[in-house]
Amino acid sequence: MAVCIAVIAKENYPLYIRSVPTQNELKFHYTVHTSLDVVEEKISAVGKSLGDQRELYLGLLYPTEDYKVYGYVTNSKVKFVIVVDSSNTSLRDNEIRSMFRKLHNSFTDVMCNPFHNPGDQIQSKAFDGIVSGMMVQTG
Amino acid sequence: MAQCVQSVQEFVQDSFVPMVAVLCSEEAERVTRKNNLNFAELLRPFCRLTSEGHMRDPNNQVQVVKNLRIFVNNVVTSPNRPPTALSHAQSKILNEVVLSCQPQEGVVNNVVTAGDYDLNFSATTPWFETYRENFLQSMPASDHEFLNHYLACLLVVSSTEAVPVEQFLKLSQEQHRIQHSGEYTNPKWFIPNTLKYYVLLHDMSEGDEQRADAVYEDMKQRYGSQGCYLLKMNTRSFSAEGDEQIPDPWSQYLQRNILHTQVRTAASSTLSGSLESHPLQLDITSSSGSLHTLGAVKTELKKGARDPESLAGGAGSHGACLTLNDHDHIRQFIQEFTFRGLLPHIEKNIRQLNDQVKTLILKIWEMPPKHFCSCPEYPKTMTSSWYPPEAPELQIRKMADLCFLVQHYELAYSCYHTAKKDFLSDQAMLYAAGALEMAAVSAFLQAGAPRPYPAHYMDTAIQTYRDVCKNMVLAERCVLLNAEILKSQGKYSDAATLLIKMTSEDSDLRSALLLEQAAHCFINMRNPMVRKFAFHMILAGHRFSKAGQRRHALRCYCQAMQVYKERSWSLAEDHINFTIGRQSFTLRQPEKAVIAFRQILTNDSRQTATQQSAFLREYLYVYKVTTFTPDGLSLPQLPLPCIHCSATRVYFGHERRLAEGEKQAATHVSLDQEYDQDSADMWCHLEEQLVAAANRGIVPVNFQPTQCCLNSQTDNQRHPLAVVEEPIIVEVTFRNPLKVSLALSNLSLLWRFTADDAPPSKEKMTNELAITNEEILALGVGVYSGFFVLCCHINIHSVDLLLPTGQQTFDVMVVHGKQDLMIQGPRLNQTKEDKMTVRHGHDQRLNFIVTSPMPLMEIFFLQFPTALLCGEIRKAYVEFCNVSSVALCGLRVVSTHPDFFSFGSQATTPLTPVSPTSAENNSAYKTLATPPQSGSAAFEMLVSAEDFSQPSGVIDIPIDGSTLQPGESTQLPLWLRGPDQEGVHEINFLFYYESTGKGNKISHRVLRHTVFICASRSLSVQASACRSCVPPHHSLGDKGGGGTLIFIDVENINMSEAGMREFHIVQVSSSSQHWRLHKCINPAKDKDCKLTSRERAKLCFRATRCKPQKGTPYRINKPYLSALFQYMIISSSTPCGDFFFRGCQTSESHKSQSCVSTEDRSSDITNIVRKCNELDLNIIVIWKAYVVEDNKQLILEGQLHVALQTIGKEASSLTPREMVLLKFKSQLPPPVILPSAELSQLVKTSLHYPETYTHPFVQDSLCVVPVTLTLSNCSLAQVDVIIDLRHKGTSPETLEVHSSFTWVGQTQYKLQLKPQEVLCLTLQACFLQAGVYNLNTPRVFAKPAEQGAMCETSQQTASPSLIFINNA
Repeated sequence: MAVCIAVIAKENYPLYIRSVPTQNELKFHYTVHTSLDVVEEKISAVGKSLGDQRELYLGLLYPTEDYKVYGYVTNSKVKFVIVVDSSNTSLRDNEIRSMFRKLHNSFTDVMCNPFHNPGDQIQSKAFDGIVSGMMVQTG
Repeated sequence: MAQCVQSVQEFVQDSFVPMVAVLCSEEAERVTRKNNLNFAELLRPFCRLTSEGHMRDPNNQVQVVKNLRIFVNNVVTSPNRPPTALSHAQSKILNEVVLSCQPQEGVVNNVVTAGDYDLNFSATTPWFETYRENFLQSMPASDHEFLNHYLACLLVVSSTEAVPVEQFLKLSQEQHRIQHSGEYTNPKWFIPNTLKYYVLLHDMSEGDEQRADAVYEDMKQRYGSQGCYLLKMNTRSFSAEGDEQIPDPWSQYLQRNILHTQVRTAASSTLSGSLESHPLQLDITSSSGSLHTLGAVKTELKKGARDPESLAGGAGSHGACLTLNDHDHIRQFIQEFTFRGLLPHIEKNIRQLNDQVKTLILKIWEMPPKHFCSCPEYPKTMTSSWYPPEAPELQIRKMADLCFLVQHYELAYSCYHTAKKDFLSDQAMLYAAGALEMAAVSAFLQAGAPRPYPAHYMDTAIQTYRDVCKNMVLAERCVLLNAEILKSQGKYSDAATLLIKMTSEDSDLRSALLLEQAAHCFINMRNPMVRKFAFHMILAGHRFSKAGQRRHALRCYCQAMQVYKERSWSLAEDHINFTIGRQSFTLRQPEKAVIAFRQILTNDSRQTATQQSAFLREYLYVYKVTTFTPDGLSLPQLPLPCIHCSATRVYFGHERRLAEGEKQAATHVSLDQEYDQDSADMWCHLEEQLVAAANRGIVPVNFQPTQCCLNSQTDNQRHPLAVVEEPIIVEVTFRNPLKVSLALSNLSLLWRFTADDAPPSKEKMTNELAITNEEILALGVGVYSGFFVLCCHINIHSVDLLLPTGQQTFDVMVVHGKQDLMIQGPRLNQTKEDKMTVRHGHDQRLNFIVTSPMPLMEIFFLQFPTALLCGEIRKAYVEFCNVSSVALCGLRVVSTHPDFFSFGSQATTPLTPVSPTSAENNSAYKTLATPPQSGSAAFEMLVSAEDFSQPSGVIDIPIDGSTLQPGESTQLPLWLRGPDQEGVHEINFLFYYESTGKGNKISHRVLRHTVFICASRSLSVQASACRSCVPPHHSLGDKGGGGTLIFIDVENINMSEAGMREFHIVQVSSSSQHWRLHKCINPAKDKDCKLTSRERAKLCFRATRCKPQKGTPYRINKPYLSALFQYMIISSSTPCGDFFFRGCQTSESHKSQSCVSTEDRSSDITNIVRKCNELDLNIIVIWKAYVVEDNKQLILEGQLHVALQTIGKEASSLTPREMVLLKFKSQLPPPVILPSAELSQLVKTSLHYPETYTHPFVQDSLCVVPVTLTLSNCSLAQVDVIIDLRHKGTSPETLEVHSSFTWVGQTQYKLQLKPQEVLCLTLQACFLQAGVYNLNTPRVFAKPAEQGAMCETSQQTASPSLIFINNA
């Protein structure tokens, strides 16, 4: 399962970042931030040819030594990034895809909350629960 | 990769140049030493050839050699095998090179805009280029390639030598020994018969020139003219022309040589120790102590740091004995050597090798494959396979290298390609990698580019070097070349990948430099990858810091910061700031460090508490070190705690004591009050009334409401006015954004004062904080220019007052700093420009103007109640104190409830002296002993309403002499009357006073007072009036038909059963301009009207109209006096009259408001009718209540007012809660219908007849009874009256009933009644039999004269008039 899940706003600031080994939080922040370059590259590459028929799931953004970083961009340019341990070979592309879909649904629910101020950090417990379900269970 | 000074071609060419060795005799060495150089160094600046050379390739084609550079070096022999990694010394040198090459200050950086990022960094990285150059030059020679093997050897002998030729021989033998004895593996030689070039060095200053020439001639004979050279130099004597400026071409070349020779004892290794940690991890445990160690290291750093300037200065004396001519000589020498000696030598060798290779290849082809494969000398399967020097593969390689060195890239490529194939088939990986690398490079350098650049050759080569051969040096060289080539082709992404792959744990410096270059690759891409750039910059910075390159590390972090700054990636931002802070600190840039640390603390941090406390500690340490020099005046800014500037409140005036013994001070304005726009408007309105009253009804144009307390919501556009010698209280709000406690102490407010010449001075304030353990501190009392005192109070909010906890014996770091109070005004939103941009107005809250002294008044209230019964009268006292040194006057007050209080009226001095009982009874009223004629005739008094009422709501306060001298105080009685409505009432007073002196900046001052009065129910008085039916002659001699009955219902509606015992009606007074209330005609004759809970009493009075008097004064009399109390209250004087008239005023104002609309449509009739029904009688009911409170009986007094407006309408002391109906303006007024009920009151009729009449029906069957019909005109107009006695025959029932009697005589009258006329008509009724009859059958129609018949209305009264007819 994922070791880090992040939601990034259209303006590229974090709406939500959660990672499992909390002592390495900073590292994941850097990883996610850097991955935005790849996300942007992918959007600009795809966006022109297909218009709004764009596939939301971007696939593997880039592999690092220890992690694989996957990306997903909603139509409103909100980015989801999931970082997975490289050693975890059991995860297929399809499963990552469904994780993103789940995340997207939950995110939509958060946005539908009339008390949520768009652009604020996500503090929804329901969203937190969904994310926790997708994270690696440590101990 | 960053931009380079050199082009790619130049760079690659310069990376591989022909190597020339130098062997010097001692004497020759001495000669060159004069210039502080050795021979190789002497030649170095001139090693690039400016002219073109020519040579022929094996096919006899002429080949042009352009821009050739040779590399001259002293022979350094060593027996070691070449290492696969750089030696420790070499790495140190590289480190020094990079360290000494720093970006220059003030160099114009270029700005890259990518998306919404604007990045500012230098596009060039000279330190990298220097590193690369040095690295390539310090490459150890290897067996698998010949590029940096020596091609030639310069044998140098001085002309001063005794026998130079012998020396040449010696040197030649030496060279031969070095190359062929096998003692030394280093240096390596290209070809067995190395070119020897004989150089005779002649020192012009000391040697004999002719001898030198002779020796040279001899040499020419011996070695051929192309193999020797006479170099003349040192023409300039060292001392003679020392000050002549000659360019020093050596300095740039020799810098590193100096570094080589310097023994590096600096603590570079110790320096790097303290910051070694993971790049992405903030090490908390190590951070606590690290800065302290850094402090210790600092001194070492000072020793170790050598700035480039001093190095350059040390090298300044090079070539002191050389003239420009000598420079030319050297240049000529190099050219001669290269073109005459070296190139022909190379050409010859290429030819030879070519032939050799051709035959070899042929041989190989002839050989059976089996033999070839099983060749025992070549252990091919080994990765580190080793060829003997004469192996044909190596010959090919050698030829390729030679071709490459003389820029014959085409041939070189084909040779490399061949060699590569051979090596690969032999599995000689190192050789193959070398061939691949060079094949790629030569393919790239081919001018016409017949084939694309084979990047995969490079990739294979790098991989082989690194993974198979474990030779990082070669791999690095390959990467550097490849990256540069890829960059030139715009393949930044590939270059970046390449560079990142090359980073490894073994060399921090290399990794740092390569990561930095990779970062530059990312930013130079077509779509710049800003975040990758930043991330790799951070990684590079980390590696730099590990390598001890602090400056570079700091620079990298700063560049990365531009991307992370203010993008709410706070964790990353904190990390970078923290690192920048530390690095800056160690680099002795504490200002920068402080700024960086501030950022961490001011950001809304997401860090944990421990992390924050670590940050805070580091910051405090750095801050303390930075600000150690106490210059006092300019305190540095502190980031913590956060000041909420806009929440700053400024209060002008003393802190007020609210109570002083029994005295209760006016509430005025205090800092505890929240700002409320509604109340501010209310006060402003009140003040406007006061100012208008003071200025004869006109509010001055420049009127501004007084603001005592300024906050973010008040209008702060003007400079507030402060008064000399009065304090100003500034309330500052702090917030601690950290999860760590902060202790504050010694807070003080800093201010600045600018004195004008004129008394109105300007004063400016800036605030400064330090820290305190108390919530509110009054500090910083300063006397300025002798005439005003400024007192500053600071109110601290939400600052935790704790020392850093959880630290073992941690000495608390205390720092001293300041924070500015910068208040931004509200955002402007008036004009279009304001709306389009964000503009802020001025906020002058803290910029006061201090004005001349003003009076200051304090007001105290004594015996001021908090709870009252409705209508209760209470006497209180108010004390006005002038606490300033200026006299005040013009004391006025205005209130939201003007009928709540009264200062009494001066005009109504009591007619009779106040009886002593007044004091005894402790009554608020003025009383008189009960007059002897009590009960018979009511005491009547005429009072003018003007005596009591004020023209407006503003009340002048009657103080003696109307001024209050400094220090003087005066007490006035104040009567209060409980509001008529129950509930809690907020009553606001605004007192006004002004200085006796004129021309002040402040025209007046005000003082606010707010009281809350809880009113509880007392009595409810309901009064109604109706016309009495009593005929006029029965009444007590009054004229006209004005006899009216007044019924007063008094009910005790007090809800509290516990304390309230009973109410007594003490007195009922009436007040009217036209009416007079007569004696009580209560049926019950009790003299005392007592009401316990929920009891009701009824009082009955008769009222008569009296003649209007001039000026229509109010007639006040007291028709009812309780017999219980032996005194009478003078209801015409203070306070009774005051409250009554004030109440009248308010009710009249209500009435006039409601009547305005009906006035215009009222016709004459309605006017007449209304006039007729108008009563306009006011009743004052004065009561006493016995209340038990705290086991004490209290007597409360009060009065209730009822205003009777019309007859028949009930009036109540309790004004009903008005329900305001929503009405649309367009609604038409209802059609004028004469209200019949009102019209029916025009004429009052009464029948007078004997109640019983005995008639002998036996004798006379007809009984005629005289009945008198009295008609009285109630109105003030002529009225036509028609009296019809005939029965109406419409209804059979009535006919039946009334047929028993009949009116006889004239049955119809038409009369006209004058105003208020009473007319008696004698009628006769005829009865036929005994019985009870209703005589009230005459129908009376009345209409005002001159009106149409339409208006006639029956004036019949409903009540029956019964007559008993008895049969005698």
